[in-house]
Amino acid sequence: MPKILIPTPLRQFADKKDSVDVAGATVGEALAALTTAHPDLKKNLFTDEGKLRSFVNVYVNDEDIRFLEKDKTAVAGGDTISIVPSIAGGAR
Amino acid sequence: MITVETQPWSVMVDHAQATYPNECCGAMLGSIDGDVKTVRLALPLDNAYEGAQRERYELRPEDLLFAEREARKNGMDLIGIFHSHPDCDAYFSKTDLENSCPWYSFIVLSIQQGKFHHANSWLPNMEQTEAAKEELTHPNA
Repeated sequence: MPKILIPTPLRQFADKKDSVDVAGATVGEALAALTTAHPDLKKNLFTDEGKLRSFVNVYVNDEDIRFLEKDKTAVAGGDTISIVPSIAGGAR
Repeated sequence: MITVETQPWSVMVDHAQATYPNECCGAMLGSIDGDVKTVRLALPLDNAYEGAQRERYELRPEDLLFAEREARKNGMDLIGIFHSHPDCDAYFSKTDLENSCPWYSFIVLSIQQGKFHHANSWLPNMEQTEAAKEELTHPNA
């Protein structure tokens, strides 16, 4: 089973776990399994329309899924899925 | 509330002063105990913004992935992001808000004429429409 690493601030919505093993052959399936098991995570990761929030990036091992096959990116046992925020800003 | 220990605070201020007049950015690692966050390690990261870095910063996601891994390796948590505002106050701008993430504390360091002046910590909301001021303690406070 692939493993999803849970960022610290989201662990309160995942029974305080720092990682969760999930069933799923793709990133989309794995994230769906995660939010089914831990429904409170859903609003943190997805908009009401079911799209990943603009500040959420997903990596499989060291690769950003935007440069792979997005939510259809294949995953298998031994793969690690990371949830990484997009952050920028500036004084003006 | 968030407290920054002396060593990481020095790293943050040094990074902000060294990159002046450009904005700097980095990650804050530490621990969370109830409502109290303690920053024990600061990681200066590259400002990846391709433009005028005097008024903008951008973190590469892969650098945040590195920070997250460093935190796990050291038994700590990634708890916040810091950046500087050269010759501006430590407010949370519209640009900061629209490009933030509600999971973390955002410390802004005001650098005036190349020297640290003051800092504030901010907690943006999920919709990226407003940020609440968070109580901040640090060695220069």
